[in-house]
Order: sequence, then C-alpha cells, then structure tokens
Amino acid sequence: MGLRIAVVGDRDTVTGFALAGVTYSHIHRAKEETLAKLEEFLASSEIGLILITHRTADDLGPELNQMLQDKKLLPLVLRIPDKTGYAPKADELREIIRRTVGAEIIIKREGE
Amino acid sequence: MAAALSVSPNRMELIKLKQRTALAQKGHDLLKDKMDALVMELFDTLRRIQESRAKAMEQLRKSYSALSNCMAVLGTVETMQAARQTRKEVQIEVSTRNIMGIQVPTVEIGETERNALTRGYSLHLTSSSLDIAAKELERALRLLIGLAELEETAFAIARELERTKRRVNALEYILIPRLKDAMRFIMMRLDEMERENFTRLKRIKAILEERR
Repeated sequence: MGLRIAVVGDRDTVTGFALAGVTYSHIHRAKEETLAKLEEFLASSEIGLILITHRTADDLGPELNQMLQDKKLLPLVLRIPDKTGYAPKADELREIIRRTVGAEIIIKREGE
Repeated sequence: MAAALSVSPNRMELIKLKQRTALAQKGHDLLKDKMDALVMELFDTLRRIQESRAKAMEQLRKSYSALSNCMAVLGTVETMQAARQTRKEVQIEVSTRNIMGIQVPTVEIGETERNALTRGYSLHLTSSSLDIAAKELERALRLLIGLAELEETAFAIARELERTKRRVNALEYILIPRLKDAMRFIMMRLDEMERENFTRLKRIKAILEERR
C-alpha cells in the first residue's frame, strides 16, 4: 500500500514541498478552513504522513492537539519549521516526557 | 481502612489475601521491569531523534534558502506555477512494528530524488535554480520522513510509559498497602480471638476446680 504525503502551512512552504513531490497540500488561511481540511486528511486512508508548520500548528491551538490525541496510528503528523525557521522552544514531545519521567531529559552528544 | 475492615476475620480469608498480595507483588515487579525497559528504549529513541532532527533541520534550512533563491530568480508566480505542474507522487510504505507490546510505525520510502526531466514541470520556462530547490527539498523530505517515524515511536513509548507508571503506582501505593492492612487486621483479630479463648478456658477451668 503506497501512502501519500500531505503538507499544511504557509504558501511558500506548501509550494516548496509540492516541488518535492508531496501529493496533497493545503495553504493555511483561516483556522476553521484548515481544521476542516486537516480532519479530512486525518480521516483519509490514503495519507501516511502530514507535515504541518509550527506556525500553523500554533495558530490552530488546542483544537489541533485534541485532534492529534484522537487520531489513530496513521497518518503520522510531523511539525516542521517554516521558511523563517520558527520552532517553539517547548515542543510537545519534551512536555510528555517531562510528565511521564518526571524530569527533563537533555541528551548531549558525547564530547560536548 | 474502611475497605480493609469489611473482610470477615477468618483463616480462609487470610490465606486468600496472602495469595492476592503475592500476585499483586509479582505484577508490580513485572510492571516495574517493563517500565525500566521502556525508559531505556525511550532514551535510545530520543538520542536518535536528536541526531535525525539536527540533520533534517539543517537540510530544511538549505532547502528553504534554495527555494527563496529560486523565487527571486524565477519569480514567485512562476515558481508556484512550476510547483503546480510537478508530478506529485512520492509514496511511502508504513508498517507497524512491535516494541514490548506497543505498536510503532516503520516508514519506508522509495526514491524521492528525481531529475529535472521526471519532475514534470516545463523545462524551457524554468531555470536551474528551480531544479536545485526541488532537489534540496526532496532530500529534506526524505529526512523528515525518517524523523516523523522516530518521533511517533517516541510518542508511543512515552504514552505506554505513562500508562505503565500509573499502574505501578496504583499497585504500589493503593492495592498492596490495602491488602496488607486487611491482612494485619485479620491477624490481629485472630490473635485477639485466641486470647479471648484462652482466658475463657482458664475461667472455665477455675470454675470446674471450685465445684470439685
């Protein structure tokens, strides 16, 4: 089963990934519109990976987190920085680890 | 304590409680081992994420600068036009793998890098800067797919870890102490009954001796 990739974000990011061969895309303008589109992407059995820019993810706020919690294993969702390189300091993976392990985990590469 | 005191104090109940405690203890030990294993797995995954993320972000930065360059050279509208014409058929294969009973995804990806001829946009309307941008972005996409797999794995492990931790705590701080309380209560009660019996016998013996 060959699965496709989707990208959600600003115009330039979407253009870029379309150039790289990403099948589905949505340019984020209004919150409701994007949420509806994401819902569609998440429900689709054709899509295996959704790329979403950090900025768009921030814009969507808690509704997005709710959607991601309710989703099945597929599609995978990955947040990526957009053209400005914007990425929030506290990412959600660190957050969940802090909650489970009860401590911040900082892994340093050897020699650092 | 209210729950602990609702057992009837007899030997049968005590034996049952002992068995339950032993079982709970065993379950607790097993879950604790599982937790340790999960933590190790999580650390391992996190280390790999960090490496993979650094690589992906570097490539992404390069891709975006190539894209900006392309938009400057070719024009934004033309770039978008070319993007619209690009063949969009990158496919990935996702299967699931089992790590200690957790389903984690494994993503396999076919060839992402193509050459200018197979991408699908018109060659005589575009410049080489578009080819460069597309190439960089294809590379970035490959790295991002790997990163997505690792992140999802870490999430799945962290979620399972949270669940396991909750169960370990429930056993350790609620169920096992409660069972031990109940056992102590029964033992005390049985001892008390024995002492009562003892004094009763003494008393009867004294009465019998008086009568004689």
